[in-house]
Amino acid sequence: MRSQLLRSAARCLWARQVVSPARRHLNCGSLPLEELFARGGPLRTFLERQAGSEAQLQVRGSELLAAAKLLSEKEQELQETEHLLYDENEGLRKLAENEISSCQKEITQLKHQIILLLVPSEETDENDLILEVTAGVGGQEAMLFTSEMFDMYQQYAAFKRWHFETLEYFPSEIGGLRHASASIGGLEAYKHMKFEGGVHRVQRVPKTEKQGRIHTSTMTVAILPQPTEINLVINPKDLRIDTKRASGAGGQHVNTTDSAVRIVHLPTGVVSECQQERSQLKNREMAMKKLRAKLYSMYLEEETSKRYSARKIQVGTKGRSEKIRTYNFPQNRVTDHRINKSLHDLETFMQGEFLLDELVQSLKDYADYESLVEIISKKA
Amino acid sequence: MELGGRMLWALLSGPGRRGGTRGWAFSSWQPHLPLAGSLNATELVSHWTAVFEKRGIPEAQASSEYIVAHVLGAKTFQSLRPVLWTQPLTSWQLQCIQELSSRRLQRMPVQYILGEWDFQGLSLKMAPPVFIPRPETEELVEWVLEEVAQSPCTVGAQGGPLILEVGCGSGAIALSLLSQLPQSRVIAVDKGEAAICLTQENAQRLRLLDRIRIVPLDVTLEGSWAHLLPWGPMDLVVSNPPYIFHQDMEQLAPEIRSYEDPLALDGGEEGMDIITHILALAPWLLKDSGSIFLEVDPRHPELVGSWLQSRPNLFLDLVAVRRDFCGRPRFLHIRKSGRQRGCPADAWPGPQPARVPG
Repeated sequence: MRSQLLRSAARCLWARQVVSPARRHLNCGSLPLEELFARGGPLRTFLERQAGSEAQLQVRGSELLAAAKLLSEKEQELQETEHLLYDENEGLRKLAENEISSCQKEITQLKHQIILLLVPSEETDENDLILEVTAGVGGQEAMLFTSEMFDMYQQYAAFKRWHFETLEYFPSEIGGLRHASASIGGLEAYKHMKFEGGVHRVQRVPKTEKQGRIHTSTMTVAILPQPTEINLVINPKDLRIDTKRASGAGGQHVNTTDSAVRIVHLPTGVVSECQQERSQLKNREMAMKKLRAKLYSMYLEEETSKRYSARKIQVGTKGRSEKIRTYNFPQNRVTDHRINKSLHDLETFMQGEFLLDELVQSLKDYADYESLVEIISKKA
Repeated sequence: MELGGRMLWALLSGPGRRGGTRGWAFSSWQPHLPLAGSLNATELVSHWTAVFEKRGIPEAQASSEYIVAHVLGAKTFQSLRPVLWTQPLTSWQLQCIQELSSRRLQRMPVQYILGEWDFQGLSLKMAPPVFIPRPETEELVEWVLEEVAQSPCTVGAQGGPLILEVGCGSGAIALSLLSQLPQSRVIAVDKGEAAICLTQENAQRLRLLDRIRIVPLDVTLEGSWAHLLPWGPMDLVVSNPPYIFHQDMEQLAPEIRSYEDPLALDGGEEGMDIITHILALAPWLLKDSGSIFLEVDPRHPELVGSWLQSRPNLFLDLVAVRRDFCGRPRFLHIRKSGRQRGCPADAWPGPQPARVPG
């Protein structure tokens, strides 16, 4: 009990260290993004061309040019200072060392800034979202894993200080989970969670397995951005709301307790249900939230499939059938296949804290890289 | 066992009014007693669902799910923590479930069995015979909230609307309005003592006592409205008055007929008795252009419309009828017209005794 407490305390400290800003920069530098910034590389050419053209008068453009200019100045400065490392004067050498390290820091920061300016943020990045988990192949074992994954995301939401509300939960007999959904909201929730959509594969000896054989099972995660009132307008006439109260006189004449609500969007046939709450109105609100997210993601699907079909990191239904990650318990390893990144210590990863956050960060960076490449090649 | 059961009964027994419950329950639950330590929540739900079905208890599955979830500390079976679905129950939990289920076998409404229910976002204490709020009424509150949001002119001296609720029951309407309109104040009246106490208790639990005034009052008594004058002119009158036609009372389900206060349900011959009293007193209490929001029977919009038309001296217009989620015309918005300031002078000092039309 005590050692468990100590362990979790240590984990907290460790978590804080890792998400410090310094680590962020490290992350950024270690990515293929660095290649883009290579001298004579495509990004350089792109920035130079931007500087040459006179069409760049928007705020973003001028900010970008300023950052690009500062970057080349700093790089020049770095180069010049580097000569001083071989100076005979020891004091000067020390001074140069300090100068270089602060210069490098600034350069990393500038590169990061340039990326942020170049990568367009998606319309939905700031939105809340609906998380859906569904057990895939593998029977009870898949359902057990689905339950663990749902817990992981719930803990991740707590770790990120997001709001998490379960909308539906359909467990299996032995404590597994067939399907569940939750509403998640908070700072950049969708921006972080959008890369989690897809097929997650687990490899381990299931609790139910008598002969100790390793099984492979799957579960699917869907991440649907929650539309704002403006993003999506639904005509109330297009909805059919089913409750157990539909027949009879209603009102004071009946006292029923079944508060389950089912909403059908007639034009598309999309169905959304909720029976989490005792208040029918609350169930209706939650079912409506889910319905809106489903309809919105269908709409976005059409949009994005046109734009991003070539990318490795897919968001939305296109990515939903793709195996994105493997959780290999015998090897204590989780691998994201999109960026070929492996992390160890599965138990910690499944706690939904800094390790999951690290992987999410890598995915975000890689997606930025891909979108950067796209921009450069388009505008070049 | 007998002793344990007695203590349990003492623990669980609410302000129920059936003295004979215990003997009955003890003689009949024994055959259903499942073995402690071997049953989990899911199995218990199916066990009691089967028992309820066999005995012809309505909503067999929903009832057993609510009871099991309640004993395990959740509001719905769906929201129960997943580990609890399959974990064996303790013998104490089993006994609780037995006891609560035995009340359901006597057709006690689930809301009274649990002693609480949800309305809008609030959990409210429920106790017989105080009227149990229905889901339709949540929509009445929604409508009032919409109207208040759209017309910022409905603000009292202290910034928020001053609202009168007639027949507050458990306090559901008053308290949900108060919790969602932080500037509002409510005068809640009811003629039933149990209702007054329950509204008081719920207001206290929700820490809303400072903005609610709970007044025991029978609006059908002549001159009763005069007690309300000192509180100042109201922006809104809201009510879910008894509106069941008297001849329909016999057809109500045993859950309602044997447990809920008939005074909160029976609206007289055409269900209009209390409605007309409210309409007759409202002009004296409302500000100019103040509004009345009522939940009624689907036959009432027409009846109320023609009743008002034949009484132009009340200066009330039926301005909108809204349907409930099942598509029945259920809610009325009646507005006091600003044509004449104050009250009709010829009717002073009191409203004419309201009569049922026809």
